[in-house]
Amino acid sequence: MTCSENPAAVIESLIRDVREADSALALLQTTRRLAAAAHPEAVPCLVEVLSFNNPGAAVAAVDGLIAIGTEAVEPLLANLDEHNYGARAWAVRALAAIGDVRGLGLLEEALGQDIGPSVRRAAARGLGQLDLTGLGDPEADALRQRCLDALEAGAADGEWVVRYGVTVGLERLVLPLPTTSPWSLRAASVLASLSGPPEEAEVVQLRARLALERLQER
Amino acid sequence: MAGEEHGPPLTEAGEPISEAEALRRLRQTDDQSLQYYAAWWLGRMRSRHPDTVPLLRSALRQRQPRDPSAGVEHNAVARNAARALGKLGDGGAAPDLLAALEDDDDGLREAAARALGELGALEAVEPICARLASGLAGAGAPQTNSPKLQEPCEALIEALGAIGMAAPAVVGVIEPFSGHDRPLVRSAAARALLQLTAEVRWGEVLLELLEHPQLQVRRAALMDLGAVGWRPALEPIRATLAENSLKLIALRGLVEHTSHRNEADPDTETVLRAMDDLL
Repeated sequence: MTCSENPAAVIESLIRDVREADSALALLQTTRRLAAAAHPEAVPCLVEVLSFNNPGAAVAAVDGLIAIGTEAVEPLLANLDEHNYGARAWAVRALAAIGDVRGLGLLEEALGQDIGPSVRRAAARGLGQLDLTGLGDPEADALRQRCLDALEAGAADGEWVVRYGVTVGLERLVLPLPTTSPWSLRAASVLASLSGPPEEAEVVQLRARLALERLQER
Repeated sequence: MAGEEHGPPLTEAGEPISEAEALRRLRQTDDQSLQYYAAWWLGRMRSRHPDTVPLLRSALRQRQPRDPSAGVEHNAVARNAARALGKLGDGGAAPDLLAALEDDDDGLREAAARALGELGALEAVEPICARLASGLAGAGAPQTNSPKLQEPCEALIEALGAIGMAAPAVVGVIEPFSGHDRPLVRSAAARALLQLTAEVRWGEVLLELLEHPQLQVRRAALMDLGAVGWRPALEPIRATLAENSLKLIALRGLVEHTSHRNEADPDTETVLRAMDDLL
């Protein structure tokens, strides 16, 4: 990499370094540098890295995409790797953390239908953290309703880790709302059903109880 | 090493079936691939039907010879029956599993050892120790013309850790394997020794393996730390380069398997927060 005075040339050179990385370690290091630049032009390359089956590099790429934020949303939605659930899980994680409402349809579909538990659990968390600020009440309420419907259905998922994700999603979705709001009551009822038998995973029960405590302490 | 999202072992038989259908498939003996899938299904679904355990025990005793046309491994039905019996937790299956532990097929011995570990079968400690007693030069030596060792050491050692009989003789049999030249065997030994002795030095061996250059080794160390539930591993687990799916399984183990917690160890809420971040 050269210390160019031209930012575009710097990004180009960082991208070239990622593309030319010839080992897992080199990919990790070059991706970290590209991600740290948090530049919109890095998005296509960072999205590609999600498909490389290199968890360390993928973590770095997701961090970079989250830092870039809304400008990463469309490319993430447009380039979902339908043949690689590992890559989809990373992409959904990035969308979940960015919290852009344009990702809602994808999150619903991912939690309800994706074959990868890692994709479904990331979607469940994301459904709890959409950024609804700046929307009018009716619109925000309609989106909340969709999130809650999807999470409620996800509570019956066959994989413990997805149900765990649902507890986290529910907690985050209603924590900012008044205890008496209909969404809070519905979320609490789903959480209560996960807080003991027949829920078989102790860790899910514990997480659901923690969420209920937090909702009551508000 | 197990990844996260393994489907059923036989795709052509992988459609959803009922318990009654699984029992029917296991009962018939003409088509072993149907039996193979049925045995897996009954274990996976934790079948509680009164016929389940007797049928699995009978499938384990059959030890069908290899049938290449069935497209499944040697003794495949017996191996899957052993695995299912481990999951179902019925101690009555122990005698058949102990017999399988003496089989010539090391794949079957491996499945039987893991099942006996899951059952916590105390009567398995002595025969397992006997198989390991020859140490690195015997049980731990490689087979000729095969990547396998003379004994399925990882499974045998992990079973001893799971059964939990912390007698000095048991610890003494396992200890040499902490110096095995294969990191996966060292990981299994450190896991069992940490379970049996709670000595920090064995946890530290696992933390070192979390930094191993091979992903496969880091994955094994993650699973082993989760199996023990060793809370001081929280930060190293977060930091290691591996899939979040495996880290989540390991952290679930830290929540659920902790037998005792020192003052300085992270509390449950801290572990759960780390899990939230990995989703």
